Amino acid sequence: MSQLAYEYYVDIVTKRYFDAVDKQDLQRVLDCFHADATLKEMTSNTEHRGREIGIKKMFESLFDAHSRIWHGNFVHTVDIEGQAICSQFSVEVTPHASGQELRYENCNRFYLLDGKFDRVYVYMSGDNLLK
Amino acid sequence: MQYQTNLNRQQLVELVLTRYFANIDRKDLDGTLACFHDCALVTVQTSFALHEGTASVRRMFADLFARHSRIAHKNVNCTVDAKNGRIAASYIEELVANDGVRSVFENTAFWRLRADRFQELYVYVSGAQSH
Repeated sequence: MSQLAYEYYVDIVTKRYFDAVDKQDLQRVLDCFHADATLKEMTSNTEHRGREIGIKKMFESLFDAHSRIWHGNFVHTVDIEGQAICSQFSVEVTPHASGQELRYENCNRFYLLDGKFDRVYVYMSGDNLLK
Repeated sequence: MQYQTNLNRQQLVELVLTRYFANIDRKDLDGTLACFHDCALVTVQTSFALHEGTASVRRMFADLFARHSRIAHKNVNCTVDAKNGRIAASYIEELVANDGVRSVFENTAFWRLRADRFQELYVYVSGAQSH
């Protein structure tokens, strides 16, 4: 595959991935990942392996637990040569259990292969949501 | 805020590797601070610690250096966005406290460049906080 454009990396992270997460559209979320992708939450050392197993289960739990999820205030560091994008952003979530909005200042490192996420690393400013 | 810098990919990587991390590992306080503007902002996002300006940034590093007999940064993997004066890196941080206790973190940092120095630095720490 030829080198992807700068805006491809920003678009897959914001317009495809986080937009789908915020809309709780599981299939659109999973479409961003390779089948054997991994997602690791670094602040709690929690790793989710495989798009249709670990990652799918993690997002099902996230969506089941929250009535509202919002990601915004993005700042991206895009490396076309390295096929990577590192993004800083704010997260607001409202758990069903409490109804109280929680806010986080997080970052993700996305490493892509052929235009899809191969490895994703997540750092969270508070308790781990991605269990 | 979008800052202006003329540093290219190689210069951004050299600033992070051979000046910033190398000076920290040598506990060279002045060399470390020379990487920052006087009005730089350092945020340890995972613990919401904010250091604004040379005096505060100096205190942060002086405290880190005073509390540890050994500081080492390894496996630095840079994501470089030279077009926008940004660089991020994942790295292993090994700290040996003065009482001999060794801690290892898998961190991510984001630097935003203004001219030839850091204007903003955001650090996301894995696991337990150390500075």
